[in-house]
Amino acid sequence: MRKFTLLTLLSGLLCVSTMAQNKIEFKEFTLDNGLHVIMHQDNSTPIVTASVLYHVGSKNEDPERTGFAHFFEHLLFEGSENMGRGEYMNKIQSSGGTFNAFTSSDITYYYQTLPSNKLELALYMESERMLHAKIDEVGVETQREVVKEEKRQSYDNRPYGTILLETLARAYSEHPYQWAPIGSLDHLNAASLDEFLQFYKDFYVPNNATLTIAGDIEYDQAEEWVRMYFSEVPKGGEVRRPNVNEPRKTTETRDVIYDNIQIPAVIQAYNLPKKTNNDSYALDMLSTYLTGGKSSLMTKELVDKQQKALAVAAMPLDLEDGGIFIMYGITNMGVAADDLEREIDNILTQVKAEGISERDFQKLQNIIENNLVSKNSSMAGIAQNLAEAKVFYGDTDYINRELDKYRAVTRDDIQRVANNYLTLDGRVVLHYLPKSAQQGE
Amino acid sequence: MQVILLLAKGATEDTVMKKIFIYFVFSLLVVQAGFAQVDRSKYPEPGPAPEIKIGEAETFTLANGLKVFVVENRKLPRVAFSLVLDRDPIFEGDKAGLTGFVGEMMTAGTKNRTKDQLDEEVDFIGASLRASSTSIFGSSLKQHQEKVLELMTDVLYNPVFPAEELEKQKKQALTGLATNKDDPDAISGRLVGAVNFGKNHPYGQVQTEESTKNIQLADIKAYHETFFRPNIAYLAIVGDIDKAEAEKLVKQYFSKWEKKEVPSFDYENPSKPEGINVALVDRSASVQSVINITHPVKMHITNDDYLSTQVLDYILGGGASSRLFMNLREDKGYTYGAYSSIGSDKLITRFSARASVRSEVTDSAVYEMLYEIRNIVDKGVTEEELESAKANLSGSFGRSLESPSTIANFAINTERYGLPADFYATYLQRLNDITVEDVNQAAKKYLNPEGLYITVVGNGSGIKDGLSQFGEIKMYNNMGDPAREVEMANEDITVEEIFEKYIEAIGGRENVEKVETAKITSSAEVQGMKLNLTSIHDEPNRQFAQSVEMMGNVASRTVIKDGKAKVTAMGQSQELNDEQFEAVKMSMFIFPELHYEEMGYTMEVDGVADVEGKDAYKVIIRNPTGSEIVNYYSVEDGLKLRNENPMAGDTTYEEYEEYEGVFFPTVSTMKSPQIPVPLKTVVESLEINTEISEADFN
Repeated sequence: MRKFTLLTLLSGLLCVSTMAQNKIEFKEFTLDNGLHVIMHQDNSTPIVTASVLYHVGSKNEDPERTGFAHFFEHLLFEGSENMGRGEYMNKIQSSGGTFNAFTSSDITYYYQTLPSNKLELALYMESERMLHAKIDEVGVETQREVVKEEKRQSYDNRPYGTILLETLARAYSEHPYQWAPIGSLDHLNAASLDEFLQFYKDFYVPNNATLTIAGDIEYDQAEEWVRMYFSEVPKGGEVRRPNVNEPRKTTETRDVIYDNIQIPAVIQAYNLPKKTNNDSYALDMLSTYLTGGKSSLMTKELVDKQQKALAVAAMPLDLEDGGIFIMYGITNMGVAADDLEREIDNILTQVKAEGISERDFQKLQNIIENNLVSKNSSMAGIAQNLAEAKVFYGDTDYINRELDKYRAVTRDDIQRVANNYLTLDGRVVLHYLPKSAQQGE
Repeated sequence: MQVILLLAKGATEDTVMKKIFIYFVFSLLVVQAGFAQVDRSKYPEPGPAPEIKIGEAETFTLANGLKVFVVENRKLPRVAFSLVLDRDPIFEGDKAGLTGFVGEMMTAGTKNRTKDQLDEEVDFIGASLRASSTSIFGSSLKQHQEKVLELMTDVLYNPVFPAEELEKQKKQALTGLATNKDDPDAISGRLVGAVNFGKNHPYGQVQTEESTKNIQLADIKAYHETFFRPNIAYLAIVGDIDKAEAEKLVKQYFSKWEKKEVPSFDYENPSKPEGINVALVDRSASVQSVINITHPVKMHITNDDYLSTQVLDYILGGGASSRLFMNLREDKGYTYGAYSSIGSDKLITRFSARASVRSEVTDSAVYEMLYEIRNIVDKGVTEEELESAKANLSGSFGRSLESPSTIANFAINTERYGLPADFYATYLQRLNDITVEDVNQAAKKYLNPEGLYITVVGNGSGIKDGLSQFGEIKMYNNMGDPAREVEMANEDITVEEIFEKYIEAIGGRENVEKVETAKITSSAEVQGMKLNLTSIHDEPNRQFAQSVEMMGNVASRTVIKDGKAKVTAMGQSQELNDEQFEAVKMSMFIFPELHYEEMGYTMEVDGVADVEGKDAYKVIIRNPTGSEIVNYYSVEDGLKLRNENPMAGDTTYEEYEEYEGVFFPTVSTMKSPQIPVPLKTVVESLEINTEISEADFN
């Protein structure tokens, strides 16, 4: 069914704010099998990005089979009924293109950027992946080894590499966010081929996918190819999503982790509202106020003036069902973790009590505006932002309204969210200490 | 969570099913497209190659000579200003490193703004501003463009170059130099520059501690005064702005920039290497060898063969499907990656083929790399390789056009190097026209397998023999200078004689044996913070205590007594295990040389080595559990120069001074993987046979 949703130019008329964001035009339609397709035409450079966002992340996993979503991100480069092992990457590269993929708690995202005369190739390859990817013992065995190396390299062997894993495990008691996308190698080892095939059947279905094409395209031709290659992919069943309400924590969780590090670190994590909650914007601005840039509050106070920290960072990890506001500080030489934590808390207390100044608020708005504008500077960036707007916010045009959402945040909001969410009684506090300190106990 | 895809070798079984799916696309409303036949058995053919529309840059020149290029791109409400100086390379001589300071110093405060004010004003508008010795870059949202220009030109016209900022920068640079002095990749970089171009060439010069210390504020001021001139500058303006607006702004902000003649420099081109030359830096701690096979080459973007050499380079070692990678990594498993490159430079550049390989296969890897270079020269490339290289290079050219700054760079290059006006417009066509024969000729013309340098940084004793098959080995030091020939001064010298000479040198056995207790305080600086160290030795009671204080707090304390050692740090206490105790126990003695034998150590002389430019006897000392430390004693005056301890790190001793007839080193520099930068401690006070109480060892 042809359902073009041509966007009106309403926002230009209704919005009186000094919008710095240029409008991103797009067309979209949905195939009968449920595949949602978004297209953005920009003929200025003869390249095109084609991406598929599968709305499956680690939160969709069976608690006894964690790591599946990320494992699939690897597995689905193994080939298809028509493409041999290793061909996927070679074909893209020898066609003058690049590719990559990632997995989060909420989504799995694949993309490739190619010369624009090879759009059909990209669509064919993505449709092969969706229609009949090759999932067999050889591929599973190969990728098990690769994921093992990835876990060693990125988590186990990397100083502070387990921060996210350890924090998530304590920040959630009920919700599947308690495990990170890398998951458990034991679970992957224990899984049978049938289980992998079932996961593919459950989640890698058109009604759980968003195909985005951005770049040097003709809308009609692109749509024709999409229909040609994707219409035959059978619709899947209803996609199961966790329906878990993480109970609000009332006591602080505090732990010490001994790691292969030389310098202690302090981690604090506070539970956040759902990604779509309006407070998300104020929380993002709050994190920028605390640690974004050379002249931010904590950087200036803790790193430059007091010299208690080598580095500090605060970042809201916003997730569909409510993520965490995670903050870490690495101590300077000779400074104890407790000492740094006390100073971090002092600053938080001060922000909660006093809020932020008008000048700092303006600075924040300027920085946010600059960041948002820069987000859409490449076809790959636009494709991803369009897809996420549709999947997370239910409306592709959110890409054009995001700045207004930030603009609606007031100084009071920033102080309010600091008080509402950065509460001492529900937070997780971890001290990362050198392993050598453990033996002394 | 990037994809890391490693495919098992040989797993290329073909299960392509020759099946044609016929599928009905059924739609109630759409009358067209009743059937769509998709042949999934093969890849769809690409459409006709798209026309690459390279945006035009508009240009104008100010009266002072500033050439301006404007690339209008209204996609995003941003504007970037990029000012570039086109000067000849500079040979900095005894002030090597000078240009590295210019950018940071220019943004360290102006007549109108302190550094803090400048940082705050840049952050306030969410902008970026940075400078180097040949550029200033500023960017922001459209609405802040004037503010960015104001800040940028303030930095250009009015820098004040604060003295304390230069001190800070120099200190950081010295820390960096100390760190990369031993870094194998940094050593390889210096060596490759030095052998190819010579150290008296801008591309071969090496920044040293000494040259860094020589740099004065006046040098930086003079550099700024001399080279930041509009008549050698290009300004690229890219983004949400048209020529008329840009011209108005540029006139407003840059018209008053005064032009002045800028000196130019000529350099003699290095001579071509004759035969195969092996250059080795012995780095005994290496488990990997950094190999770089290289020779100088004349190649520039203006050269007619430029594109052919780019294709050649891609096929030889440009990527993960190139010959070097396939041979050394995929086939032999010697390395994580092997690559080659042919540079492009107005003056002179170099060819290089490089890989880091495990020590045992050093000579095999060199052999394979030489083979690949010779083979591509002798046998040439295949049609298939050529097509794949063309697809890859044109793909990345196409993708690069997405960024509007690429268009500005094209315009600047065209002007700067006098390229034909359609140079970039015809780039893809010219790339496409390249034939196998063109590439093969380029290989013969620009690669020189019979005249090159094989440079290796690695563990000499393990790899030297293997490397000698390629030619005579010339040794170099860490800084890219030919290593001094170190000869064994006295072949028959014994450990006892070396120790005796050492004891004589520090005051004679009689004086030395009188020393029973000592209290030494010293200080060091780490990242701008002062550390105070206090060591107390009590030899008769076999006790030792050392405290490290930082900002008045005890950061760590080590106590040895009753045959045990305890370390307290960060509020935690730990008793060392046997192995750890063995490693620290000798530090309780003021002069361990007097005690090695009675403590059951065995010692042997292992030749003469170079320690910071001095010949030194290398003495290996093994403790009863088998672990080793190494001490170095000066051949010339007998003093101990260095201690290498696998657990505690390396300590170098300098500046011996006399205390009550006995000489102690007053400056020690410690290096260890445990600490981020070398730690230099300086003795502040030293008391011998002083009062010591039991409380000192609690």
